[in-house]
Amino acid sequence: MPCVRLRFFASLRERLGPGEDRAVDPGTTAGSLWESLVSTHPAIGRVRVRIAVNERYVEPAHELTEGDEVAFFPPVSGG
Amino acid sequence: MAELFEITASPIDPTRLLAAVGDPAAGASVLFLGTTRNENAGRRVTLLEYEAFTSMAVREMRQLARQAQRRWPLRRVAMVHRTGVVPIGDTSVGIAVSAAHRAEAFEACHWLIDRLKEIVPIWKKEHFRGGTVWIGAQQGGPEPRRGRRRASVP
Repeated sequence: MPCVRLRFFASLRERLGPGEDRAVDPGTTAGSLWESLVSTHPAIGRVRVRIAVNERYVEPAHELTEGDEVAFFPPVSGG
Repeated sequence: MAELFEITASPIDPTRLLAAVGDPAAGASVLFLGTTRNENAGRRVTLLEYEAFTSMAVREMRQLARQAQRRWPLRRVAMVHRTGVVPIGDTSVGIAVSAAHRAEAFEACHWLIDRLKEIVPIWKKEHFRGGTVWIGAQQGGPEPRRGRRRASVP
């Protein structure tokens, strides 16, 4: 099973911690990984999440591979 | 002058931004400074706290600068955003753009700060009297400082 590194930021970090390594099933997508996180932590389901893999924004259908760094963001608010 | 795209916990020095876009072919340099305001959505703000995904934020800022360079005939671009606690009145973000003529420098600088706020992975936590709130994250209002549930305050 591919192992990926999860990272959380801002309000998600406060709820879930900074991140963790996790083994995922082959074929797991960025979006399905988020859904599995929501099923474990229903309160985060209200977040309009954006996902970046290896520091690039991806669509939910993006398939994860070994060693990916998967970052979950609430809406950004710099400035 | 070395290029300047930076996430920093230190105060932002505008002269450094302007120096970074200095160019003998430039006839205009535009500097935008975003400063922390003491009021937001009717709340008295006491300070702002910023968090960034630093490496990706720098990458995205460089990418925005490249896009701006393709869109306008610019000379140089520099972007800096501060993280950590930023007291009221301090600069949280600075963008400098130089170009041969002022029109493109103004337009590009305006576009860059708008895009930065839309896509660069930086988050702002507002501290106000009675609580804190991550800006952009909540559909509802602020959460009470000690509250467990997410309050939906008007």
